[in-house]
Amino acid sequence: MLRDITLGQYYPVDSPVHRLDPRTKVILTFLYIIAVFLVGNLWLYLPVAAYLAFATWMARLPAGMMLRSLRPMRVLLVITFVLNLFFFSGAQELVRIGSIVIWREGLLNALIFTFRLIFLVTGSSILTLTTAPVTLTDGLERLASPLRIIRFPAHEMAMMMTIALRFIPTLIEEADKIMKAQTARGADFETGNLMARARAMIPLLVPLFISAFRRAGDLAMAMEARCYRGGEGRTRLHQLKYSRRDALALLSMLALYLMILLPGWLA
Amino acid sequence: MPIVLEQLSHHYRSCPRVSVALEDISLTIHDGELLALIGHTGSGKSTLAQHLNGLLEPTSGRVLVDGEDINQKGARRRALRFRVGLVFQYPEHQLFEETVFKDIAFGPKNMGLTGQQVDQRVREAMARVGLDFEEMKDRSPFELSGGQMRRVALAGVLAMQPRVLVLDEPTAGLDPRARDFLLGDIKRLNQEGTTVVMISHAMDDVARLATRVAVLEKGRLVMQGSTLEVFSQQERLAAMGLDIPDGFKLARRLRQAGLNMADHVHPEEIADALAAAIRGGGGDAA
Repeated sequence: MLRDITLGQYYPVDSPVHRLDPRTKVILTFLYIIAVFLVGNLWLYLPVAAYLAFATWMARLPAGMMLRSLRPMRVLLVITFVLNLFFFSGAQELVRIGSIVIWREGLLNALIFTFRLIFLVTGSSILTLTTAPVTLTDGLERLASPLRIIRFPAHEMAMMMTIALRFIPTLIEEADKIMKAQTARGADFETGNLMARARAMIPLLVPLFISAFRRAGDLAMAMEARCYRGGEGRTRLHQLKYSRRDALALLSMLALYLMILLPGWLA
Repeated sequence: MPIVLEQLSHHYRSCPRVSVALEDISLTIHDGELLALIGHTGSGKSTLAQHLNGLLEPTSGRVLVDGEDINQKGARRRALRFRVGLVFQYPEHQLFEETVFKDIAFGPKNMGLTGQQVDQRVREAMARVGLDFEEMKDRSPFELSGGQMRRVALAGVLAMQPRVLVLDEPTAGLDPRARDFLLGDIKRLNQEGTTVVMISHAMDDVARLATRVAVLEKGRLVMQGSTLEVFSQQERLAAMGLDIPDGFKLARRLRQAGLNMADHVHPEEIADALAAAIRGGGGDAA
């Protein structure tokens, strides 16, 4: 029952984008987000859309999967559009229904904000779709490691994220097993009001927490037994290396910036 | 209350592959027997066990308890779970209450029994697994030893007084003493009339307790019969990576050494046969 939940959305195919260094992809995503915020004119979304289409094609991702990443956002998208449409006043009247006026500026603004959200979500989902979670934390660790100067625990954060990701499937399996065991004793997780259901979770949550703590203790012991002492002086099995591919990807981002910024400079 | 499996199949639908867990299993569990389910890791034993009380629904085929299809619409599956008790592997991992009493009372309370009946059920269940009621009832289940925790968990299922008890590797991870205790409990329960289905990797335990053995391999039921019939086919079992009980190994070695020795299930029989073989079969042994 619980096993049906899919976690993380990594789409495992081999593509030039999948093979990019995770650091490059994080930087690209960051730059892309800034680019999307720079767009203040509907026409300028054309280069953004083109870039997104290009990246999707390069990453061999099905277009449907990209659109699916918008589904959890649909309510927010509608609210964004409606609020901007009705509560923005301008100079040029477009439609008047009773006392409600829709202004041209309102419509433009609503479109700009809605598209901004759409491009942000679909664009940044490319990062998680093409990067395995562990590779991603690896990249984040390396990117954040200069912050060690100000005592930011980059390695520890990355290790915690990796361990957390590693144990999600294990805990789901465990939860499934405990749920079945309690169901076999007549526990009922599916009916009753909110209070009854919350109470019904106790027989599931208590054993689950106990087992999580036990696993954490075992893991800590096992790591110590293999002489883990934090990130200091630790070498890695998979070295991250920038290649020409990464340079090309960054160049493509530069092209996007030029297309967005040039019209403004020329005008 | 016999349980009949009719051409039962179960496929796990994990995208994108469909993996077959059980394929075309027909098996009858008779009243009062102690059926051991053996097979290699991943052969489908646990999946099969979860079909017996409707925790899993078959992809095709039927499960009949008392002649009633438990997966048809309107079947009262919750009531069924009180009649077919399932004890999972490492059942002590499902303990959750503050006291031993409360934990064992969880099942009976879910049945909707009155406080007095629940109390009675808990006392009986604890007595059955050899836990002293007065001494243990107010202790936290988490401060007990592994063997005691397991017996509390077993009592939690027994307190529902199921007619059929399904045990998934009940002795895994126990020390020899706790194991002997638990096997004794199981044997006594069976003798008092509870039908028992026991999944086990420990062939000596199986030889000690089982009246019948069913062998699963890669989701198929490949052998079933009396304990003696199944374990006598050592070559077939070895091909599946399964062991035989020590008694059978001993008899085999003695036969190889030239002694006239038949297979026996119980240690006493083996001892008798051995004595007879040494006394009477001296000619062969030379």
